[in-house]
Amino acid sequence: MSNKYDVVVIGGGHNGLVNAAYLARAGKKVLVLERRHVLGGAAVTEEVFKGFKFSVCSYVVSLLRPEIIRELDLPRHGLEILPLDGTFTPMPNDDYLWRLNDHGKTRREIARHSRLDAEAYDEYGKAMIEMAHFVKPIMSMTPPDPTTLSPKGWKNLAFLGRRFQKLPYEDKYNQVQLMTMSAVDFLDQWFETDVLKATMSASGIIGTFLGVRSPGTAYVLLHHYMGEIDGAFRSWGFARGGTGAISNSIADAAREAGVEIRTEAPIEKILLKNGRAYGVVLKNGDEIQADVISSSVDPRLTFSKMIGEEHLPSEFCEDLHRYKYRGSSGKVNLALAGLPNFKAIPGEGAHLRGAISISPGVDYMERAYDDAKYGNFSRRPYMDMVIPSLTDPSVAPPGKHVMSCFVQYAPYKLKEGTWDEKREEFGDTVVDTIAEYAPNIKDLIIDRQVVTPLDLEREFGLSEGNIFQGELSLEQLFFLRPVPGWAQYRTPIKNLYMCGSATHPGGGIMGAPGRNAALEMLKEI
Amino acid sequence: MLYDAIIIGAGHNGLVTACYLAKAGLKSVVLERREIVGGGAVTEAFHPGFSCSTLEHAAGPLSPQIISDLNLRQQGLEFITPEVRVLSLGEDGKSLCIYNDTAKTVAEIEKFSSKDAKNYPEFLTSFSRIGSVLAPILSMTPPSIDHPTASDAWQFGKIGLAFRGLGKKDEYRLLRWGPMAVADLVAEWFETELLRATVAARGITGSLAGPWSAGTSLGLLMQAALDSTPIPPALFVKGGMGGLTKALAKAAESLGVEIKTNAEVTHIDNSGHNAKVQLNDKQEFEARAVVSNADPRTTFLKLVDPVDLEPNFLLKMRNYRAKGTVAKINLALDGLPVFAGVEQSKLSGRIQVGPEIDYLERAFDAAKYGEFSREPYLDIAIPTLTDSSLAPAGKHVMSIHCQFAPYKLREGDWQSRGQEFADTVINQLAKFAPGLKDLIVAGQVITPLDLEQTYGLSNGHIHHGEQALDQFFTFRPLIGFAQYRTPLQRLYLCGAGTHPGGGVTGIPGANAAREIIKDLKSRKA
Repeated sequence: MSNKYDVVVIGGGHNGLVNAAYLARAGKKVLVLERRHVLGGAAVTEEVFKGFKFSVCSYVVSLLRPEIIRELDLPRHGLEILPLDGTFTPMPNDDYLWRLNDHGKTRREIARHSRLDAEAYDEYGKAMIEMAHFVKPIMSMTPPDPTTLSPKGWKNLAFLGRRFQKLPYEDKYNQVQLMTMSAVDFLDQWFETDVLKATMSASGIIGTFLGVRSPGTAYVLLHHYMGEIDGAFRSWGFARGGTGAISNSIADAAREAGVEIRTEAPIEKILLKNGRAYGVVLKNGDEIQADVISSSVDPRLTFSKMIGEEHLPSEFCEDLHRYKYRGSSGKVNLALAGLPNFKAIPGEGAHLRGAISISPGVDYMERAYDDAKYGNFSRRPYMDMVIPSLTDPSVAPPGKHVMSCFVQYAPYKLKEGTWDEKREEFGDTVVDTIAEYAPNIKDLIIDRQVVTPLDLEREFGLSEGNIFQGELSLEQLFFLRPVPGWAQYRTPIKNLYMCGSATHPGGGIMGAPGRNAALEMLKEI
Repeated sequence: MLYDAIIIGAGHNGLVTACYLAKAGLKSVVLERREIVGGGAVTEAFHPGFSCSTLEHAAGPLSPQIISDLNLRQQGLEFITPEVRVLSLGEDGKSLCIYNDTAKTVAEIEKFSSKDAKNYPEFLTSFSRIGSVLAPILSMTPPSIDHPTASDAWQFGKIGLAFRGLGKKDEYRLLRWGPMAVADLVAEWFETELLRATVAARGITGSLAGPWSAGTSLGLLMQAALDSTPIPPALFVKGGMGGLTKALAKAAESLGVEIKTNAEVTHIDNSGHNAKVQLNDKQEFEARAVVSNADPRTTFLKLVDPVDLEPNFLLKMRNYRAKGTVAKINLALDGLPVFAGVEQSKLSGRIQVGPEIDYLERAFDAAKYGEFSREPYLDIAIPTLTDSSLAPAGKHVMSIHCQFAPYKLREGDWQSRGQEFADTVINQLAKFAPGLKDLIVAGQVITPLDLEQTYGLSNGHIHHGEQALDQFFTFRPLIGFAQYRTPLQRLYLCGAGTHPGGGVTGIPGANAAREIIKDLKSRKA
């Protein structure tokens, strides 16, 4: 096969694969190069311990764009989403809060804590869905450049202005608050139950170095209402076979469209000739040429490592250095001999089939953040846990289970010691925390995999262990992501594009960056 | 008699409004609860022979436009501007002095870091460039984004053009800095911790926020718009801040404004053809318009009959964020305290205790949990160094702005814990000025509760409400009501709860007057 391609895509994560698939469907000859032995980047399933398949990093589906599922016909390529019903939040006093997809049940459950909140919950849901409808199209648009002088740029800005203008007063009010407030301040206006506010606000901090009281965390509350499966708002799910199955189905769709995919093909450098990218060199010395390079890895790897800052404008480099990663989360994956027995709801039951959230109170969440601010991992962290083996037996041996624990905060930069020294201590903290709610957990653990921010960087190429390839904070969103002036998937290097989570609309298994980038690239190649 | 306008509260903004109305030939009366005029800008004797600016100790600065429009200098207003802006005390006995003069400051910073010394001038110039673009926005009535009129559109246009004038680099800086945590902003410019903290302090002054809270850079941008420098000046007034409001009152009276003290308004009656207000002694005043210089919560939740307002509006008002975090301590001193390793000449400006970003953040942490800071952030003035009129010869007064002192304490209340707090502050200060305690002749503690009860600041919030992204410009106090008008046709706001917010600038008062004059002139009696 010839060594000349139309496009070489760097990184076989879900965005890289989506990007490749769309380009190939437009008739381009595309090659995807993945450093690791498996595809998927942070959306992988790996059999870490014999018979136990972990979704090592990302573990639930929610934001995968429906248009991508449709256009790439992913179900036909093996994508099957299994429902993840509800969020179970155990409390220290052995009470609990259990929200389900069934609105009525959730309402009754909340009423147990506060009648007022139960009523507010309806209103809240309606308002949030309105907001989500407003924000949705923005996710699949290329951010306009607010400094542009071109009429077309102005048109896009005006589009946003008019859209906002058209909103009814109440929605304008909510929208402004969502974009500017902290999750807790926002929720305080609706609810009085502490545990309800805590567990809802948790979605606002995932993957950021912010606390639930930090302004700018409210808008992420929307994501919960944007999670779409088959177009139905606010439902979350597992992929059968683990999160890696999503990447595999996209890869399958890509291959069918003619994409060539190589794993264990780490890249040394991006080749430049007078300011234009024309190919890549692999670590093994192979040289591959292409008209266009599309990088789904984060800006630090793309520009500082694979290009070299000497080839870039100094102002662009300064902005690159300002771009904040500072990962704040880790992952602990447990191979279990049985099911955890929660004091709040003893025994097995539907509460184990959904998400289990360790977020018993707003102060608990805030204290977890305080630890991280001063360079320690949380002594009592926020956790979002799932037991996929209950819904999808294929990921664990019969009778056994896998439990996936997303843990925050675990700051990449520790004040004392290194993550390699602290790995087990961190793992113990996580298990101890679970044990406070489900004492039998310690007896159940057969094996445990602790994924620290440092591991995320080394193993998965996520700089500073940020799961979103850069913090999702207000100053790093939309037309400021990743770098002011370069939010339209293009770069200062001709023929080099970005298509990863470091571009709008950011991280999560959305695929939107990959798709948006492909559409931009196709305008030019 | 029928007045054109009744102004509730003789704070600096109320007086400014009264003056401008009078200049436009409108007859108004100012009704002040307390026995003296001035609101938050007053000079009071707190011990025989000793007096000081009991609350705010430095001007915002007051808008030069207002000073000249109202010939305040002829009314006896005299500013004192020591060459030292702020002396920031370091924990290791090292201190950093910021002068009005850039060269002197650079020399000072040079002792810590030549890199920072090099960056400082550019830091100032880029802020003053951006500030000069924002300045006109301060004195503009925020355009309505709810129902924009032609003139609103025109205002937006003007902002847009000014924004363009900045050039791409500064345009993006403005967009990035707006929502940014001030800790991140200063880290982009400086490496010296003490300098970082000194600059960052402005971002949290008076707010329920720490340097790591998103949006705290806004304070620096506001300051730059007011003063072209992000670091607030030590702008004192001869005779204390009361000197400023006395001059305003004289100006008002010379223009024919009636000012009544000991006249507490208890009710605003909007039912008749004209607006009426009732005093606690049942005395009534009637006017074509009522202008409230009180904060929005006091105005709408206390003075107005709830049935006159839509439930929806009331709900939003109750959710208006205004949780006070500031207490004030004023000390009468037998002599000048000696600060370790600091020559006296450097004490004449503001003195800051808040040596590190983490120090400031920890001080804030306490407030999140309803506790006052064990190691508070302090902004101190010793006005007697530049104004002998405030204390007997050789004696001094020390005015201490203390954060964080949350209005709602989780344990105990302010009546019982005021003294404990004062001791905490003085012990902390004594670490930097060892001999301090022996010099104290008398002291005055003004807790957040006193701010509410004595000075009428709802929840003890010195800025009439949190100044954050969700409550500024066209969102202050509420989206749709940022034009100094209220849901009640004859009721207006002119205080710090309106754009551009708190600080002794007089700009809200002047802006409000402009709108009121428009309405009253167009409306027949």
